[in-house]
Amino acid sequence: MAQESSIKSRSPIAAHPVTSAVIAILTVAVVFFAVYVPLYARATPKVGDFPFFYFYLLIYMPVVAIVCWIILMLRNRLDPPAGGPDGPAAASTGPGEVAK
Amino acid sequence: MSNVNYVTFTIVVVVFLIVTLTGFAAARWRRAEDMMQLNEWGLGGRSFGTFVSWFLLGGDLYTAYTFIAVPAAVFGAGAVTGFFAVSYTIIVFPIALIFLPRLWSIARTHNYVTPADFIRGRYGSRGLSLAMAITGIVALMPYIALQLVGIQAVLTVMGVGTSSTNSYVKDVPLFIAFLILAVYTYVSGLRAPALIAFIKDTLVYVMIIVAVFYIPTRIGGWGHIFAAGQAHLKAISPVTHKPNGVFIPTTGNSQLAFSTLALGSALALMVYPHAVTGVLSTRRRDIIKRNMALLPLYSLMLGFIALLGYMALADKTTVANVKKAGGNAQLAVPYLFQHLFPSWFTGLAFSAIVIGALVPAAIMAIASANLFTRNIFKEFFKPDASPRLETQVSKWASMVVKLGALLFAVELPRTFSINLQLLGGIWILQIFPMMVFGLFTRWFHRWALLAGWLAGEIFGTIAAYKVATPTTSHWAGSTDLEFGHTVYIGLSAFILNVVIAVILTLIFKAARVPEGADETLPGQYTADPTDAPAPVPAAVGRQ
Repeated sequence: MAQESSIKSRSPIAAHPVTSAVIAILTVAVVFFAVYVPLYARATPKVGDFPFFYFYLLIYMPVVAIVCWIILMLRNRLDPPAGGPDGPAAASTGPGEVAK
Repeated sequence: MSNVNYVTFTIVVVVFLIVTLTGFAAARWRRAEDMMQLNEWGLGGRSFGTFVSWFLLGGDLYTAYTFIAVPAAVFGAGAVTGFFAVSYTIIVFPIALIFLPRLWSIARTHNYVTPADFIRGRYGSRGLSLAMAITGIVALMPYIALQLVGIQAVLTVMGVGTSSTNSYVKDVPLFIAFLILAVYTYVSGLRAPALIAFIKDTLVYVMIIVAVFYIPTRIGGWGHIFAAGQAHLKAISPVTHKPNGVFIPTTGNSQLAFSTLALGSALALMVYPHAVTGVLSTRRRDIIKRNMALLPLYSLMLGFIALLGYMALADKTTVANVKKAGGNAQLAVPYLFQHLFPSWFTGLAFSAIVIGALVPAAIMAIASANLFTRNIFKEFFKPDASPRLETQVSKWASMVVKLGALLFAVELPRTFSINLQLLGGIWILQIFPMMVFGLFTRWFHRWALLAGWLAGEIFGTIAAYKVATPTTSHWAGSTDLEFGHTVYIGLSAFILNVVIAVILTLIFKAARVPEGADETLPGQYTADPTDAPAPVPAAVGRQ
């Protein structure tokens, strides 16, 4: 998911490097913990009657909803107010940005 | 019509009538000054707020096919082919949050109606835009046809339909349902599915909540449900001499298949034209962002829908019924409901599935029609088409698309449509680079993107064709071996696509091949125009 992270941290606003980095890390993490199956492909510990694998995927969805909401809040700090112009960093940056 | 349960049947018919009335009434909802604008008919006036969009996008992305096919896959083969859908609908939203707001802004600023409009404006390339439009239309056709498979499954279990061997006579109810759908989509445009989505989602939610709490009490609890699932998947299939499926993916290859299917499908979902149509119909940039955080709630529901597959395995009557019907796993969920719910509730649940097919089918038809009108008809045949003519063409095109899908569903064997839909996912993923990368950078050369797209499509199609199992010689699935690892074909084609696009971009740049004009400006990708867009789509004057 390197492509998303580099886009994220470079595109909208270079003026908020920390916030951008946090957004990038959250996005990569939230995808990673869903896609990296060895992490949760186990039958135990059972939660109630649910094998861990199924419990994990179900409980992970509200977690993602919350993380998405946090990302959203952070992004609102990055994006310019409605109708306003944006910095020059928004698009058409250098080569290789998305190539990886 | 021998063993029809009339209570169930009546409820389905009544709900269908309510939905039909709603569909026609939708033309008056948020009434436009002039409905003969593509913005109005095809994008609901770009006026929807958070609440409506949540229902519309939910209704758009979670189709009847999802309700039927995901549990069917779990019923048949377990975690890797079925439950990956849960993982994929989790990650689609954080990924979409990265690029959809930019797509919305640029489309709003330039009044783009379709994703191919954006490609045209960004790269100044009619060829690239045509490639996207054709990919979109071709990938959507089997997807619409599959919505019909959802309806057919319900009708079969209800016992509706004549016993005639002529497929046209047999599917008369299906024809009627789809004809009505086509007519109210023609009249009301995107407003119809938007309004009907409320009914659909309410019914689906009720159905799932009841199913999740009630069914386990009837068939011995969750422990028994999972045990039955595990037992079935472990059992050795007499045909393939391998286990039926995977309960928990513990081997390296099954895990990789699971991950790449989830990741590839997540990347593909939001570049489907019908998803873009839903996105562009919103009023403000914020609404897209907010919905990406709210839609995961829908995925939770999908998780439980997938588990219906195991519930069906735990219910002996359902297993026997499916076997009697020729082992068609698509019937598992309808049979499960029919056996365990009282007939009136079965009626509601079946209605949910039928409407769940109509909403996305309408949006997909509209998306295809817009692609055809804007990026083929207007671009290549009638550049001076007035907005009125555009809208008229789009309306008729939506009819044609639906009838085409209907023939598709009736004429072709069902397995063929399902395989085509898998192929559709592989195909549509190949437009990801031009569209999503294009939202962030103009570094890629337009011809390099075109070449990458072509390579990805060819590789993906051939690779999918070669997938075989002991029971099926071709198109048997959407994963294959790459360098000894089981990988989703869409994703390997996508990687090939990107690599070729990068290499050729370097070459074309060195050779100074013309890059084409870019009509977009950097600031426009984050713009949030508060005023309504000009009524006329992109650059065409209204004389």
